[in-house]
Amino acid sequence: MERFGEGYLEERKLVKRWGGPIPALVCLALTLAVFYLTWWVFQDPRGVMRMYTPYVGYMYCRWWLIMMIWMVYIFNYWPFKRKWLENTHPLIKGTVLTIISAVILVVLIKGFFEGLLGNFGLAYFNPEQLEKLPGVTSFFAIEYASLAILMFAAIASWLSPAWVVAMEEAPWQKLTQPAKGFSILIMTFFLSMVIYFVTMHPHMGILYHPWQYFTSIAPPYWEQFADTVSGNFHISWIMCCTVVVWLVETIWERYPFNLIKNDWARRFTAFFGIIAIALAMHFFLYFAQELTWGEAIRGTRRAFAPDWRWLHVGEMAIFFLVPALFITFYCDNWPRKYSMPVNVLIRTVLAVLGAAVVYIVYYKTSHNFLGTQKGFSHPQQFPMIPMIWLVNIWLVHNWFMDNWPGWKMVPKTAEEIEADHAAHKAAIEDVRWTPKFGAGLTAGAVMGVAFYFVTVWALPGIYAAIDIIPGK
Amino acid sequence: MSDNMNRRDFLKGAATGVGVGLLGAMGLYSYSPLRKSHFEQAERKGTDIGMCRSVKVTNVSETSWFDNGTLMGDIKGAGGLLVNQYLFNWPPFGNGKGLGKGSYEEGIAQIKHLLPGRLDEAWDIIKGNSVNPDNAGGYAALVEVEEMSGNKRKFLLDVGWSYKWCEECFKREGVDKMLENKEIEALFFSHEHFDHFWGLPVALKYDPEITIYIPEGFYPEGLQYIKDCGHKGKLITVKPGLNQVIPGMASYVFSIPIICRVYGEQSLYFNVAEKGLVSVTGCCHQGIIRFAETAYSEIKYENDKCYGIYGGLHISPFEDWDPKYDDLVISLGDYGFEHIGCNHCTGVLCAKKFISAGYPVVKGTARFRSKDTAYLGNGDTITFG
Repeated sequence: MERFGEGYLEERKLVKRWGGPIPALVCLALTLAVFYLTWWVFQDPRGVMRMYTPYVGYMYCRWWLIMMIWMVYIFNYWPFKRKWLENTHPLIKGTVLTIISAVILVVLIKGFFEGLLGNFGLAYFNPEQLEKLPGVTSFFAIEYASLAILMFAAIASWLSPAWVVAMEEAPWQKLTQPAKGFSILIMTFFLSMVIYFVTMHPHMGILYHPWQYFTSIAPPYWEQFADTVSGNFHISWIMCCTVVVWLVETIWERYPFNLIKNDWARRFTAFFGIIAIALAMHFFLYFAQELTWGEAIRGTRRAFAPDWRWLHVGEMAIFFLVPALFITFYCDNWPRKYSMPVNVLIRTVLAVLGAAVVYIVYYKTSHNFLGTQKGFSHPQQFPMIPMIWLVNIWLVHNWFMDNWPGWKMVPKTAEEIEADHAAHKAAIEDVRWTPKFGAGLTAGAVMGVAFYFVTVWALPGIYAAIDIIPGK
Repeated sequence: MSDNMNRRDFLKGAATGVGVGLLGAMGLYSYSPLRKSHFEQAERKGTDIGMCRSVKVTNVSETSWFDNGTLMGDIKGAGGLLVNQYLFNWPPFGNGKGLGKGSYEEGIAQIKHLLPGRLDEAWDIIKGNSVNPDNAGGYAALVEVEEMSGNKRKFLLDVGWSYKWCEECFKREGVDKMLENKEIEALFFSHEHFDHFWGLPVALKYDPEITIYIPEGFYPEGLQYIKDCGHKGKLITVKPGLNQVIPGMASYVFSIPIICRVYGEQSLYFNVAEKGLVSVTGCCHQGIIRFAETAYSEIKYENDKCYGIYGGLHISPFEDWDPKYDDLVISLGDYGFEHIGCNHCTGVLCAKKFISAGYPVVKGTARFRSKDTAYLGNGDTITFG
């Protein structure tokens, strides 16, 4: 039977070309250089195309991420054959696959959202339709349409991978491509649309004057709970969902959900567990801002506004993704020598520390080289854009180019694949219920709660001592 | 079971438990009402800035640009709202290279020798080199403070943008003569934006020795421009926080990032006898509610009451909208302002939403190119007290 890219990522062996950390450092330097070059060409407000308006650049950046998820996770590189993936030079493969992702991206945005939905359904997806409204300038027509399209992307970038990571492609996992890919695509797109309508559409409905009472719920139902009418409240938890999906898939190796033996119980627990973890992040990161900057005041602007605080939750969440992906892509998910829970805990600690470092470095320095403005809460300051742009570059590098030139791709033998599966199964079976495990679980839970309250107590002092932006 | 196995199982459980406990606490506690016990009750400093009898504001100009579509077309063409304002090739720093390809150095080199005295000649050169020079207007306000003794003191808040337009406005309101006669004792800049700051030579033409207060955060080009315009007086950079000026008047600097690569905003507080707090702002990028909350925590004012507002409130400066602006419209009523004279970057749509919400908006006359009576327009005045 014709093989496409099913299992390609698991069944490839990436062999280091040099010893020690050199491959990782070389690849980091290379990808950062590509990041900066492409940032200058496409995004930078001082550069060539200046798409960081910000919403235009953000929309393309976000959807490009999803295009790659679709191509690799949902369609398993279809229609490219396995032999082509294994035998083509990474530079050619990277170029071809990147161009294809960009073409699909443009067709989706220009054809589906702006052309189809924007002309025949919801005017706010199409800038030209918006410009027909009195007083709406071309600039804001494009920004509003981009905002709507990227809000859809935020949801899709959570649900598309979640159906693979949590739902394990069920119930279509046994279909061949492209039937499997289209089934998952239609399912996740449908779910994205439902969630879009109950989270983002009410935001768009009050973006215009007068409020669009007959087409959307106005004021939105979350107003009292979130202390704002802005849809940023939803952006926040949805961004956290996106990040948690990838934490589960990469540094957590789907732990602890993989302990559940029953297939459907495991899938649903993982799917809703990701949402539960994301909600925990969503609330905590908002609280963290209250602890460091003071209570939000509804109606004010910038760093004190509830709507911005919710947005910033999503922005903070994305900082966790960068070190987590680096650990998986370039550090071979280090460490691997302990039991799965301990490995997961160590990686999580490293990712949290890494996120804090990237966050501090970003806000201290990014205005010097990205063309953004100094400060946390500039209305056009969206750290999600450069962070996702970097993630996109890493996805191209890891998924399309096999980490070239730091690593060389060698297909695993059948024995090696079998050994991997056995080792993975053993690692899961190694975690089982014993009295000592129960005692550890209880003690750990108490420590986790204690750590939470210590963090809450220490956070204001730590933040004041670091003073990320002097004079803020 | 060996000790080693026991220890390993305990560790596996503990590692899992830490995650469970931590995430559980994060989810259940972080947004619960219990969290509020961690917030410090802000102590009111109650700094006494003194008191004045009244404040009169004359709107010299609130029309920073005349056609919103043209301005937004420039912003779109140059690359958006984060592009450095000195790169747009807007007047007066045109270098003839087109939109988004300007620079301070090349622009000022064309006109420096003509500043501040020969502004007509400078403007002729600027018109030839700049993008959409006729769209430039500016924001400037004359602030007259009546002390408790009855003595009146005058200050200028910002100087606008277009040399041509600003000179016309200064003459219309007699500001040129006041400057020449040294009646205006200081010029406060709210921030470095083009429409508030770039008209500086017009003020210096009539009084090059005027004392200037700028908020901390001006970029090197802005600081150089003050020199290149021929300023000979004192330049005071105001640090973030409260800065007392005269009895009953203080400025407050907020360290905030602003579009078009600008940083820092300075706004004015007045404590008007028997009335309360009056806020006079250029653009109020910090937000009027933040400004009112800061006053509440920082200074003492009559009757503990927010009384009046004048100026740009920076809500929908480009007649754009966002649901977060509705948060402001919904919340402003809680602060009890009795006179709201808004214009400039407030957004006409926002002013109309204020009126619809029943707020005491002081209407204007829509003269001298101001577009709507919902705004306190060019040439209009408002007196507090």
